[in-house]
This record gives sequence, structure tokens and C-alpha cells, in this order.
Amino acid sequence: MKRRSAIKNLLIIAGGIAILPACSTENGKASIQLSNLSINGDQEALLAEIAEAIIPAGDTQGAKDLNLHLFVLKMVDDCHPEEEQKQFLKGLDQFNDLSNQKFSKTFMKADIKERQELLATLDATQPHSQDVEAFYKITKRRVIQGFLNSKYVMTDLKQYELIPGRYNGYFPVN
Amino acid sequence: MSNLNIDSVKARTFDAIVIGSGISGGWAAKELTEKGLKTLVLERGKDVKHVVDYPTTNMYPYEFDHRGEVPLAIQQAAPIANRCYAFREDAMHFFVKDKEHPYIQEKPFDWIRGYQVGGKSLLWARQTQRWSDFDFEGPGRDGFAVDWPIRYKDIAPWYTYVEKFAGIAGNKDGLKELPDGDFLPGYPLNAVEDYFKQVLSTRYGGSRHVVSARCAHLSKPNQIHIDQGRVQCQNRILCQRGCPFGGYFSSNSSTLPWAEKTGNLTLRPFSVVHSVLYDEEKGKATGVKVIDANTKEEIDFYAKVIFVNAAALNTNLILLNSVSNRFPNGLGNDNGLLGKFVAFHNYSARISAEYDGLKEYKTDGRNPAGGGYIPRFRNILKQETNFLRGYAAGFSAHRSMDRDLSKIGNDLKNELLNPVLGPWRVGSHMMGETIPKEESYVALETNKQDEWGMPLLKISMDYDDNDVKMKADYIEQLTEMFTEAGFTNITPNTASQAPGLDIHEMGGVRMGNDPKTSLLNKWNQLHQCSNVFVTDGACMTSTSTQNPSLTYMAFAARSVDYAVNEMKKNNL
Ligand SMILES: Cc1cc2nc3c(=O)[nH]c(=O)nc-3n(C[C@H](O)[C@H](O)[C@H](O)COP(=O)(O)OP(=O)(O)OC[C@H]3O[C@@H](n4cnc5c(N)ncnc54)[C@H](O)[C@@H]3O)c2cc1C
Ligand code: SF4
Repeated sequence: MKRRSAIKNLLIIAGGIAILPACSTENGKASIQLSNLSINGDQEALLAEIAEAIIPAGDTQGAKDLNLHLFVLKMVDDCHPEEEQKQFLKGLDQFNDLSNQKFSKTFMKADIKERQELLATLDATQPHSQDVEAFYKITKRRVIQGFLNSKYVMTDLKQYELIPGRYNGYFPVN
Repeated sequence: MSNLNIDSVKARTFDAIVIGSGISGGWAAKELTEKGLKTLVLERGKDVKHVVDYPTTNMYPYEFDHRGEVPLAIQQAAPIANRCYAFREDAMHFFVKDKEHPYIQEKPFDWIRGYQVGGKSLLWARQTQRWSDFDFEGPGRDGFAVDWPIRYKDIAPWYTYVEKFAGIAGNKDGLKELPDGDFLPGYPLNAVEDYFKQVLSTRYGGSRHVVSARCAHLSKPNQIHIDQGRVQCQNRILCQRGCPFGGYFSSNSSTLPWAEKTGNLTLRPFSVVHSVLYDEEKGKATGVKVIDANTKEEIDFYAKVIFVNAAALNTNLILLNSVSNRFPNGLGNDNGLLGKFVAFHNYSARISAEYDGLKEYKTDGRNPAGGGYIPRFRNILKQETNFLRGYAAGFSAHRSMDRDLSKIGNDLKNELLNPVLGPWRVGSHMMGETIPKEESYVALETNKQDEWGMPLLKISMDYDDNDVKMKADYIEQLTEMFTEAGFTNITPNTASQAPGLDIHEMGGVRMGNDPKTSLLNKWNQLHQCSNVFVTDGACMTSTSTQNPSLTYMAFAARSVDYAVNEMKKNNL
């Protein structure tokens, strides 16, 4: 990709919110502006695949469609303390090792079933490095948050009501 | 200083000055202007115009960059405000950033402030209950503080007066300890709140109640509310952002625009009141000294009567800072009690549980009142526990949504999009009366000043043995009541919080009959300086259990009525 032509005027939309794109999108750089985290393109791509494994596309849009990995990065960058940011980065970097140990291939090369199998072991409390656990906890929580609070889910799949205009404390169930 | 110019003096002279534009100042302004007085409202913060200056009011959750969370850098600049539940991305701009407005905590005190036109009226939780004589007679009966100079009958008509205008939703519950008001229709309790109400009334022989929380929402507006430009509350529960419907009461939606319509209001934002000016010859206050918040310039304004409504602790600060030959220790402070006998509400305990019944119901829409209210039931008719006074409590129930978040992939997505209804969850929080004591005080740290040259306020108040016993009783009684109702997983949470986070700080300029033991008389008028009135939380002799702001409104309206009558008689 040519550097000059890659300068974007548009904001990147992550889960429905606008995020500033990085000024330059050289290969190897993250695609959004971050103030504390330093992330390269490979890490960003890996995070995108992890998010997609957590909430995949199917009949409805998934994590990648909604740029939820960028939402995760934005939240970690702005809302998490420095030590958690460090753990997050370390944990992310250990992900490929984990995958190598289990399937003898990187996470990027693993298929979706393998990826999800690996994540399932992280959900079940099997011993892993603290960094991986911290990373995965943050990522999963933020992916879920970004998904549920995305414009897509809140308008297309569910109806978020800004103005309910009513209250019923005895609403019959079924 | 441009004080020498005669014309300029004229331009800076009004009939009345109100310091602060929050709940109590807004009321003072409305009453003064309606009675024909040219009134200057001085507000230290920026202007916030109804609707126009509510930047987040119509935003969807996904339009907030951090989905409601406050970014870490902002949390760090506001470590105290950050402890308040309402300090979120949608309303954080209405809170003081602590770093900009330091104070000294001799004992931990979370001072939550809103410096802008409207003050904390934009942010408040809108709970509004009247006091009863069990409250006004408390200090006299139980031997603390001083006797209130008024009784319920003195303020009852003024409660009615402010309720009609502000719009208070509630039911007539016929309880002596929680007098009924002039209400708009109350918000109904939900299935489990109603059930708990039944359980209590059966089990405790009519001595413990759950009522619909009374709140300042237009459940069904009257003409007087329409005339204010307000319409029916639409159950958004996003009130802390400012409400485009004017569905809840704030100075911005109600009293200030009303005052403006009279043509008698001059509102001056960015005006930090430094002190009240006292003229020894006249034996009266003549005006106030203001520091312009932007230019730091000093400007004096003059008026015949001054209402100090800067919110309890800032009102103390201004009066303590108003020193003269006659009053070297602060305006009206001959007895040395100014700043003393401050107190707060004990909000340091909560309890939650689950209920497995009534699963045929859930709630639909949102309840602006928030649920139910349990009026004080301890020590009402006589002393019966090992602690003085008592507590009110919130009570609310909601049907939870259960989602198994340990899943992954399509299964997880399915959980997220199709949660199943879980059990009802119930919760309560304690609102305890605390006892004002001489050793609880605020004072000036004259060696340290803020950016505008105001001395910093030192705050020193804490829980005492009475509070500890009362808290234990709350947990014990609520546990019993929850058990009686068949609630399960009863989980007390006694994690303490510093005083202040209740946001009901009171006292320091207390009312009383005797100038030797109080600062204000029964009209909220300084005993020693008759044209200065204090009608915010600073005037409170004791704290009761009720949310206080409705009482400040009633005091403000009553006191203005008195002051204007006195002016007509040339007594002021
Ligand atoms: C999140 C939250 C929930 C609450 N819930 C409830 C509730 O449910 N029920 C209830 O009764 N109360 C509640 N309160 C408390 C309620 O907001 C206050 O009791 C009420 O606003 C007090 O009114 P006031 O006029 O005394 O002060 P404020 O409304 O705070 O107004 C004071 C004004 O004075 C200004 N000021 C201060 N110093 C100066 C100065 N030197 N010069 C010029 N101006 C100055 C301030 O900027 C401010 O605008 C809540 C508060 C908060 C924040
Ligand atoms: S609940 Fe009522 S008052 Fe509050 S924001 Fe909504 S409409 Fe406005």
C-alpha cells in the first residue's frame, strides 16, 4: 500500500463509535491512534482474529465486522492502568506460543475450531501465565461490551430505547 | 478596581443578591424576582442553559467513546468525584474536577461538588420527602445540638408551595413519620417491591412500611409545569445529563427560567463570591465581593438583602471568610459556632438478595422514582435501641437477565443476544441520621488559597459510635426483613465510605432560638446581621433521615417571603 494514498480523512468506526485513524498507515503500524499502547500491525491482526473467535460472524455480524478489536485497543489505551496495559501486551504476544504448544502452529494459522478450543481452555481455569489470563480477561470483557453496546446490536438486533415513556412493574412473562 | 465610578456603582447595585444558583439559590431567585426585586444571582461556574447546554442528553450508549466509562486520566484528575456513582462519561462535565478545587481533609471527606449554573440540581437523584415533627423535635427530645426554632406546622405550607411548582410524584401514604404532600401521581411499586411491602406490614403490625419513592418528576404535569416549558417525564432515567423534557426538577429547567421571565433577574456566571461586605455604621451587610473566575478581577456588588446559597460547606466558607472589625471570626459569628456542628448522612451500608418467586412478572420500561422507600422505623415514638435516632432505607427490585459468559463463539453470541430471565434481585441502602457535634467542623486554612484567592476549607467530621451501632442495626433488621420475605443469598455490604459521598452535608450555620447557641433565627436570618439569609444545607440544626433538598427549597421560599415583608415594613 502506498503511504501517501493511505492517508484517511474518514474516521474508523469501531462498534459504532468513531475512532481516529493513525496519521500514517505504514505496514506494520496499528491502524488507529493510541496514546499509551504501542501496537504493530501484526499484533492488531492477531487481536482481530482472537476477537472474531470470541464473537464470530454468522447469520449476524461478528467482531471483525464491528471492528471490536479496535474498540478493545481504545479501551485498554484510555481506561486501564499502566500495569494492565503491560500485561495485555505481554499476554497478547504469548498467544502464538500457546497455539504452537497446542497445535504446533501459530494462532493465525490455526482454524476457527482450534482457535475456539484454545480460548475455551482459557475460560476453564487451566493454569496459564498470569499475563495471558489478564490479557484474555480484558479482551473478552471488552469484546462483549463492545458487541452489546454497538450500534448494530442496539438498533438492528435489539431495540435500545432512549425514551421508553412507560413503566410497568407487573409485566407478564409470556 | 473600578469601584469609584458612581455610574458603575449604580450598575452594580441590586435589590437582592443570591449567592449560588443550585437548588436553594434557584428558589431564592425565583421568589425574589417574582416579588418584584431586582435580583443578581452570582454563580462561580459556567452558564448551563436548559437543553442547549446538555451536550450528551440525546446520545445513545454507542455514541460515547468509552461506552459510559470515565477514562483513567480524567478519573485521576477527579479522584473524589470519581467515587460518586453518577460520575460517568455522560455527566462528568457537571462535576468539579478535584485537582482544580482543592480542600483539606483533616478527616476523610468526599466533597462532591457541581460548580455551574444549576449546581448539583442537574445531577441529583431527585428523591424528595418531607420532614415530620419526629425530626424537628429530635434534638430537643434526645438532647443533642439545639432545639429547632420551628416545627412541622411552620414549614408545612411551604412544602406544599414548593411541591406544587417543582412537581413531586408520590402517593398519599398517611404516615405520621413521612407527611404526605401535594403530589402528582406516584410511580407504582413493581411486583416484588409490592410483595415486600405486604410482608412488612403483616410481619411488623403496621410499623414498617415500603412506599413508592417520592421524587421530583412530572409523572403528570399540571398547567404550572407546562407554563415552565416542562412536559411529562418520559422514563429515560438519563436525568444526570440534563433532561430535554424538563421531566425532573432542576434550577435550569424550572426556577431560573421562571425568574428570568419576570425581567428582574441578572445572572452572572464565573463569579466567585469571596465574602459578604459588612458596614459597621449601618450594622448591615451592604453587598458582596466577587472574584471574576476568568479575569481574577475583584468586583463589588451591592444589595439590600443577601441570600447565601452556595451549598452547605461553601456557604460556611464564604461566611467564615467575611471578616470585618465587627466580625473578626466571620460574619455573624459572635458565639464562635460558625462552621461547627456539621453533619452528614450515614450511607455506609447496603444489602442485596435474590427472590425466586413472582417469576410470572418482570418490569417493562423504567421507573424514574427508582423503586421504594422505607421510612424510619427506629426510635420514632420513644427511645428503644442502644443508639439515638434511626435510618430510612431505599428498597428496589429488578428482574435480572442471566447470560453464561464462559461460553465462546456462536454459543456466546447466542447467550448475548438471547439472555434468559433470571431471578428477581433486590437491594437496599441505608440513609442514617448522624448527630451534629461541636467537634465536627469546617474551618479556613488561611495559609493556603485556591486559584481565586479563596482560603482552602478544612473539613473535619467522622462517623461516631452512634453511627456504628446504627449501621449494625440496619444490617440486622434488613437481614431479618429479607429473611421474612423468603429472599435468599442475602448479602450485606458494609464497606465503609467516607462521609460526604452521601452528598447531604449539612450544618455549620445552624438555626436556633438563642443567638448564644445558633447563627440563624427561625427565618434563616443571621441573628447578628439581619439582612443576610442562609437557606441551604448550612442552616440545618439536625439532619433527619430524609433527603434534604426539598426542605432547602421550602426554607428558601419561606425565608424570601419573610424578608420581602420585612423590607416592605422597612425593617431590613
Ligand atoms: C449524584 C447526586 C445525587 C443526589 N441525590 C439527591 C436526592 O435524591 N435528594 C436530595 O434531596 N438531594 C440529593 N442530592 C443533593 C442535592 O443535589 C443537594 O442537596 C442540593 O443540590 C443542594 O442545593 P444547594 O443550592 O444548597 O447547592 P448546589 O445545588 O450545589 O448549588 C450551589 C451553587 O453555588 C455555587 N457556589 C459555590 N460557591 C460559590 C461561591 N463562592 N461563589 C458563587 N457561587 C458559588 C456552586 O457553583 C453551585 O452552583 C444529590 C446530589 C448528587 C450530586
Ligand atoms: S427520567 Fe424523566 S426526567 Fe429523567 S431524563 Fe428521563 S424523561 Fe427526563
